[in-house]
Amino acid sequence: MARETAAPEAEVYGAGSFYHLLRDDGVQLRVCSGTPCRLRGADALLAAARRSGLAAEPCSCLAACDTAPAVLVDRVVQQGIGTAEIEVAARAGELAAQPDREVLRGAIGPEDAPDDSLAIHLHREAEFDGAALQWAGGLGAPAVIDEIEASGLQGRGGAGFPAHVKWRAVREARSLPKYVVLNADEGEPGTFKDREILLRRPDRVLEGLAIAAQTVGAGEVHLYLRGEFETPRRILQEALARFAPVLPRDLVFSFHAGDGAYVCGEETALLESIEGKRGMPRIKPPFPVEHGLWGQPTLVHNVETIACVPEIVKRGGPWFRGLGRSEPGTKLYCISGEVHRPGTYELPLGTTLDELLLAAGGMEGELRAFSPGGASSGFLPASYRSVPLDFGSLAKVGSMLGSAGVIVLSRDADLREALLDQLRFFEEESCGQCAPCRIGTRYLHEAVVGAEAETGAGPRLSRAAEVAWEMNEGSICGLGAAASKPLTSALEHFPEIFAASPGHGGAEE
Amino acid sequence: MAGLVTTFGAGAMTNAIGEIRDVDFLFVTGSNTTEAHPIIAMEMKRAVRRGATLVVADPRRIWLTGIADRHLQLHPGTDVWLLNAMAHTILEEGLTDKEFIAEHTEGFDALRRSLADYPAEAAEAVTGVPAEDIRWAARRYATTDKAGIYYTLGITEHTHGTDNVHALANLVLMTGHLGRPSTGLNPLRGQNNVQGANDAGASPIFLPGYQRADDPEVIARYERSWGVSLPTEPGLNLNEMMKEVGGRIRGLFVMGEDIVLSEPNVSRLEEGLNRIEFLVLQDIFLNETARYADVILPAAAFAEKEGTFTNSERRVQRVRRAVPPPGQARPDWQILLDLAARCGARWPLDTPAAIYAELVRDTPRFAGLSHERLEAEGGLQWPCPDPGHPGTPFLHEGGLLRGKGLFTPVPYRPSKELADEAYPLVLSTGRTLFHYNAATQTRREPGLHQKQPCAFVQIHPSDAGARGIAAGDTIEVSTRRGRIRATAELTREVKRGCIWMPLHFAEARANLLTNDAGDAVTGTAEYKVCAARVQRVPEVGEGRPPAAGPAR
Amino acid sequence: MTGALRIDGQELPIEAGDTVLSVAARAGIEIPTLCHDPRLGAAGACRSCLVEVAGEPRLSAACTRKAQEGMVVDTQCERVERHRRNLLALYLADHPAARPLSGSSELFDMADRVGAPRDWGRLESRRDQRVDPNHYVHFDAERCILCARCVRYCDEVEAVNAIALAGRGPETTIATADQRSLLDTSCELCGGCIDTCPTGAMSEKVQLLRGAVEDARLEKVRTTCGYCGVGCQVDLNVDRRAGEGGRVVKVTSPEPGSTVNDGNLCVKGRFAYDFLDHEDRLTTPLVRDAGGVLREVSWDEALDRAAEGLLAVKRRHDAHALGFVSSSRCTMEENYLVQKLARAAFGTNNCHQCAAT
Repeated sequence: MARETAAPEAEVYGAGSFYHLLRDDGVQLRVCSGTPCRLRGADALLAAARRSGLAAEPCSCLAACDTAPAVLVDRVVQQGIGTAEIEVAARAGELAAQPDREVLRGAIGPEDAPDDSLAIHLHREAEFDGAALQWAGGLGAPAVIDEIEASGLQGRGGAGFPAHVKWRAVREARSLPKYVVLNADEGEPGTFKDREILLRRPDRVLEGLAIAAQTVGAGEVHLYLRGEFETPRRILQEALARFAPVLPRDLVFSFHAGDGAYVCGEETALLESIEGKRGMPRIKPPFPVEHGLWGQPTLVHNVETIACVPEIVKRGGPWFRGLGRSEPGTKLYCISGEVHRPGTYELPLGTTLDELLLAAGGMEGELRAFSPGGASSGFLPASYRSVPLDFGSLAKVGSMLGSAGVIVLSRDADLREALLDQLRFFEEESCGQCAPCRIGTRYLHEAVVGAEAETGAGPRLSRAAEVAWEMNEGSICGLGAAASKPLTSALEHFPEIFAASPGHGGAEE
Repeated sequence: MAGLVTTFGAGAMTNAIGEIRDVDFLFVTGSNTTEAHPIIAMEMKRAVRRGATLVVADPRRIWLTGIADRHLQLHPGTDVWLLNAMAHTILEEGLTDKEFIAEHTEGFDALRRSLADYPAEAAEAVTGVPAEDIRWAARRYATTDKAGIYYTLGITEHTHGTDNVHALANLVLMTGHLGRPSTGLNPLRGQNNVQGANDAGASPIFLPGYQRADDPEVIARYERSWGVSLPTEPGLNLNEMMKEVGGRIRGLFVMGEDIVLSEPNVSRLEEGLNRIEFLVLQDIFLNETARYADVILPAAAFAEKEGTFTNSERRVQRVRRAVPPPGQARPDWQILLDLAARCGARWPLDTPAAIYAELVRDTPRFAGLSHERLEAEGGLQWPCPDPGHPGTPFLHEGGLLRGKGLFTPVPYRPSKELADEAYPLVLSTGRTLFHYNAATQTRREPGLHQKQPCAFVQIHPSDAGARGIAAGDTIEVSTRRGRIRATAELTREVKRGCIWMPLHFAEARANLLTNDAGDAVTGTAEYKVCAARVQRVPEVGEGRPPAAGPAR
Repeated sequence: MTGALRIDGQELPIEAGDTVLSVAARAGIEIPTLCHDPRLGAAGACRSCLVEVAGEPRLSAACTRKAQEGMVVDTQCERVERHRRNLLALYLADHPAARPLSGSSELFDMADRVGAPRDWGRLESRRDQRVDPNHYVHFDAERCILCARCVRYCDEVEAVNAIALAGRGPETTIATADQRSLLDTSCELCGGCIDTCPTGAMSEKVQLLRGAVEDARLEKVRTTCGYCGVGCQVDLNVDRRAGEGGRVVKVTSPEPGSTVNDGNLCVKGRFAYDFLDHEDRLTTPLVRDAGGVLREVSWDEALDRAAEGLLAVKRRHDAHALGFVSSSRCTMEENYLVQKLARAAFGTNNCHQCAAT
C-alpha cells in the first residue's frame, strides 16, 4: 500500500491545540485553581511563583485535592510546595520535578477493616498471584458475567451504569477485534480515588482488566491515564512487569498518556484521544460496546469499577452486593475542602455525609454547603447531610453521586467564589464541539460575573434556568448536561449569594 | 480523438462524470487531475475515500499519487510499453472477457500476436516500473467490475499519442470494460469546449458529428444542405498548418487562440508569421500573436454571449449572456456571420439558437438537441437522436457505436527526441491549477497571480545539486529549438533526469523549447517529451509579467 | 426497503442507509439543520436537528441517527421546539447582531423560523486579530458557530485538509496549521469553505473590500464555466446598477446535486472572473495601417479589411493557402460557423482548433 497515512498538518495542529499540556509551551509550573486548593492557599502560591519570575499558570483540578494546594511540574504532581520552596527554587534557577511515589499518597481509611468487608482495600499490600484471574478462567465467561450481574456493580466513573450490561454486549458483539479500555483520566474536581488505587492497588486494576479481557474476548487492553499521572503510570507499569508471569501471554497492554483535557474522561472522547484526535465526545448511539476504539466493540471502565472485579470473582456477586447499604458494594469516597483529614475512604455505598466526615476527622468549622460528587453535582445545603450518598438518593434530590468526590465548605468559605471556580472549570474544559455546552458554560459564567455590574439591562441570571435546560437537553455529552448544576443548585439553595451586592436585581428578577 | 473514433466509434468520455464516485478501480494516466480538472478530481477523491483502488501511471509524483494504491512512475514516452505489458499480463493470466471479445470486437488475434513481445519483466527495463506493479495493476483492472480509465494530454501529446490511445482501448476491449455505468475509457478535455469544437466539425477531417469530410455521401448531403459545393481535399491539421505558415499557408484566420504562446517550437512559427500575407485575429485581449495581425476584431467573453458548450462527458449546456461586452466588442458568432456575408456567404442565421438548429439538422447523433430543450431540461448528453430521447449518460450499452470494437496492435516507438549527451534531461510541459492556458485571463486575476506569480521549472534535487542549482535560482532551460529562463523549484515530484514546466507564462514560453513533431494521425505535437539541458544563471533574467492590478 | 418508522404520526418506509433526517426529508417533513451538507458525512454537531425518539431519555440528532424499524419520532413536540428556540437564542447571544454583509445567513433565517428570543444579551466578542493576506477567503471568527462544515468540506470533498478545528472550549476556532496564511498551506483556494458556511463566517474577501451588494439586488445568471472541460454550471451574480449594463460581482455554484459539479467549483471557476472588465480588454476593432501601426477603426472598415484580405489570398493562391484556426474556448455555434466559413465560403478543409485530444 502506497497510500499515505500521515495525518495532515492542520489536523495535527488542531489536535495539539486541544490539549493544554501540549499547548502552553514554556510554562514551568501549574497551580490547581479548584476550590479545595484555593481554600488552602493556591492563589498565594501562584502569585508568589509569578513574583519570583517563574512562568506559572493556573490549571484545572490535578486530582490531589487531599494534599492541596496541588502543583504540577513536568507532568508530575508535587506535594508540599509552599511559597518558601517556590522562592528558593526560583532563586536557584531550577525547578525540577520531584518524582516520589510517597508524596502522592493521601490519607485513606478505614484502617482496620476485615479482609471480607471491602472490595478494594487500599490498606492491603498488592498481590500478584493472579488467583482471581485463574478462578475466572475456571468459571468461564458466562458465569463471570453472571457474577458481575449478581454483584450489582455500577460504573464508578460517575454514570452508575450496570457493568454487566456492557460486558455482555461486548462479549456478544460479532465484530473482531475487541478491546478493553481503562479510563484513568481522573479529573472531576474533588476526586482523587483512582490515583490512590493506581498507587496502592495496581494489582487489582491489572487483574480486573485481565479478567475483563478474557471474559469479553479482547486481545488488547488500552490504559489511558491522564498526563499528570506520571507517577501512577510508572507504578502501574512496574506492577505489570511483576504480574506478567500469571497473565495470558497473548494479552497486550498499551499505555496512553492524556495531555490535559478533563473531557477525555468522557468515554468516547477518551477513545478519540487514544486515536490521536481532538478529545471530542462522539454522538451516541452507537455506544462503545458496539462501535468503540477504532470502530470496534470496546469495554470501557473506570479504574475503581475494574478494581472491584477481582474480589467479586473470588468472593461472588452476592458478597459484593451485601457490602453496600442502600446500593450494592463499597465505594471509595473522596473528601476534601474544609475537613480535618481529607482523603479516600472505602465505605458502604449509601453512607451519609456525617459518617464520611467522621471517618475523615470531622469538619473544620460549621458546614454550610457540600458538593457530593465533584463540580458536576452542584451544591447542597447542610440540611441534606443525612441523604445517603448513593446514585439513586442523590439523583432524587436533584444532585448526583458522580465520582463521589465530596467537597465540604464551612460558613467561612466564599460560596460565590466556589461557584465561579466551578463555572470557570466547565467553561475551560468544555470541548467546544456543541453550542449548548460551549456557549452555555460561557453564558452562565458571564452571567454570574456580570451579576454585580449589571444594572437594569436585563440580567442574564434570569435566563439561567432556560440555558441550563438547554445545556441538559441539547449537549452531546454529560459534561454539558452537568455543567449548569453549580449555578442552578446555588440559585435554588443559596439565592442570598446573588443578592449580596446592592444595586442589582439578583435571582428573583 | 481520432484514436477513439476509429476503435469505438465515438471520441469522447464513455461515462458521465457523476459516475466516477461509484468506480471501484480507477486507472489515471497522463492526467494531473487535481490541477487540470479539479472538480473531476473531487469525484475521484470521493471514490477513493469510499474504498476504490486508485492506480496512477505518470512520470511525476502528482497529488493523486499521495492517495493512490500504486504509482507506476514510468519514464516519459514509454506509455505503450507499459500498457502493452499490462495487456500481456491480462492475456497471460487468462483474465480476458472472452465472451465480450467474441461478440463485440474484431482483430483480437493480431493483438494477441503483437503482445507476445511485451512481457512485464522487459517492460520494467524500458519503463522503469517494477514488473510486479505492472502485473498487480493489470490484474486488479481486469478483475474489477467497475473499472474506469481516465487520461488526458499526458497520453495524447506525443508523436505516438494515437498509439497510446489505442493501447488503452485494447485494455478496455479485452476485458469488456465498456457499455456499463462507471466502466469505460475517459479522455478528460482540457478546455471548456474541446468536445464541442470537435463535435461542431472544427476539424480538417470531420464535418459536424464526426462525419468524414472525404465521404462522398456526407459531402453530398452538406452540399445540398448548404447550397454550395464543398472541397474534397483533406485539410491540414493544426500542427501541419502551423508548420506551413509562411509556406503553403499565406493567410490565417485565428479565433480565440494565442498561437504564439500555445503552439510548439514557436521560433519557427514566428518566422513563418513574418512571411504571411494576411492575418485576422479575433480575441478578447491583445495577445502575443497580435504583433503579426493585420486586423484585430474585439470579441465577447463567455459571460457576454449566448450559445452552448459541450463538456468532456458529451453534455451540451447553455452559455448565457450575463453582462454586455465592453465597448464595441461583439460576440464571435455575430462577427463570423458579418464576415461571411462580406465574403459573399449570406446565411439566414440570426441567433445562436438558429445556428445550433442548423448544426444538429445534419448530424444524427445530435438531432434531438435544441436550445429550447436545453433551456427546459438543463444539460443533455449525446447521442440524442430525436427530441424525445433523454440523452446518453454512458456509451456503448449493448454493443459499440462502431458496431464492433477494433483491436489495434501497437508497436512501441520511442519519442522523437530522446535525452543525449548534449541535452541530457527530458522536458515535459503542462498546466497548473492556478493558471489557464496562455493565462490571458488568470494572470489578470490578482489572487491567482499572488499564489503563482512567475514561471518555474521543476527539477529533481540531485539533478539540481549536480549543476550547482539551489531552490529559487534563476536557471536557463535550453533545447535544440530555443531557450528560456525561469525559477528553479527543487522537488522529488519529478524523477531524476526529468524536468517539468508550466506552459502559462509569456516571459518564459515553454513552447520556445517544445518539439513540433506531430502525431501521425492527429498532428498533436509532442509537448510531453523533448531533450533539454539546464544551467544556473547568475542574475535575474529578462521578461516581466503583465500588470496584474485590480480591474477597473 | 427495510421496514418503516413513524415520524409525527406518519408511517414512513426506510431505505438502505437512511437516517431519521433523510426519511423525514423524503416525506417533506422539515427538520432544521445547520451543520448538514449533502456532500458531507453527518456530524451531529450543530444540534439543530434534535428530535424526540419515544422511549429514550435524551433527544437524538436526526442527521446521525440511523432509521430503525419501529422507531417513533416526534419533530414538533414542545420539548423539541423549546430546544430549537433556546439553541438559536444561544447562537445569537454569541454572535454579532447584524446579518453578514456577504455570505450565507442561514443562521439568521433559522432563528426567525423557529422564533428564537433575541433578548438573551450578548456574550463577550470572539473577534480575533488574525489577518490572512490571501485575496479570496475571509474568516470572521465571531460569526463562526463551529459546525465544521468548512473543515469537513476541506477534508471530505477537496481532500486537502488545509483547515481544522483548533483550540478548546471557548477558544475553539477554525485554523490552519500554526495559524499560517492559507497561501502557505495545502489550500487550493477552491472556496468550498465559503460555499458551505451557513453563517457568513467564511466569506469572499473581495465582496467585503469592494462593498458587498446584498443578494436581493443581485441577478443570478446560470451559465457554463469557461475554463476546463468539466462544464461546471455557475451562477454569475450580476449587479445591474454597476458598470454599463451590469457587472459580475461574484460567482456561486448551483445547489449540490443539481448539476455536474454537485455544488463545487475550483479556484478559477469561483474567483477568476475579473478579466471580464479588465482594462486590457479589446474594445475597438483595430487595423494595421501602411506604417505598420494598429489603428482604431469602425466595425465596417475592419470587417471589410478582413474579408478583402482573406479573399485576396485566395485569389492570389487558392483556398488551400488559407488556414482557419477555431477555438475550443468559443461556443459550439461559433465553431460551427468557423468551419462553415472555411468550407462553404472559402472552399478549404484547412480548419482546426487547438486541442485534438
